[in-house]
Amino acid sequence: MSTKLYTKTTIGDMMNQLKPPENGYKSRIRTSTIRLYRWHGAWAAATMLMAFGPGFLWHRALGLTLLAAGLDVAAGVGMILATKKFIEELDELQRKIFLNALGIAVGVGLIAGVPWTVMDAYHVIHFHANFGFLVILQGLAFMVSLLYGTWRYR
Amino acid sequence: MKNRLKVLRAERDWTQAQLADALDVSRQTINAIETGKFDPSLPLAFRAARLFALHIEEIFHDEDRSGLATEIKKDTYV
Repeated sequence: MSTKLYTKTTIGDMMNQLKPPENGYKSRIRTSTIRLYRWHGAWAAATMLMAFGPGFLWHRALGLTLLAAGLDVAAGVGMILATKKFIEELDELQRKIFLNALGIAVGVGLIAGVPWTVMDAYHVIHFHANFGFLVILQGLAFMVSLLYGTWRYR
Repeated sequence: MKNRLKVLRAERDWTQAQLADALDVSRQTINAIETGKFDPSLPLAFRAARLFALHIEEIFHDEDRSGLATEIKKDTYV
């Protein structure tokens, strides 16, 4: 093992490097997370408006329904871009955990979604295969994978 | 891959959080590297080397390297 003498200057330089930068990792992640929450909130609100607006607010007026759909898509694009930015801001381990969880959620959605719709088409199941169940399943798979990844590398 | 990150950090009396701030990563990442659960990327290894004013191989080393060297030596004499 090599021994190394540290001069005052070297140690001073090192300590300077240890000072958390103003735009450090924690600060960037905080900003990025707040942006992500805002866009997810905006998308959820736009989706609710599109789902319930035609029936409860504007009595199925076509123009307003199309406008709500456009707003939902725009908020969705914003949410995707915010998520992309969030993933880019993550450090390499956090990104690995996040992408693993995303991969598992997509996989679970695919392997559960296809038999789900086939069973519905052939009346094996006696209720309508609602797309919402698939979204909930994917969400749960993502959360469980994320928690497992965080626990694994704790 | 093994590393001396924990020893080097302890020698300087730094916390995992301080090292994480200096390397621009999360504290969890530092902990995972120190415990050998996660191998850092080359850019992060270079950043660590720069911070400690050491060469990368003085901080990180391949666990199989000694075995590989023995095999190469053996092959040379065959």
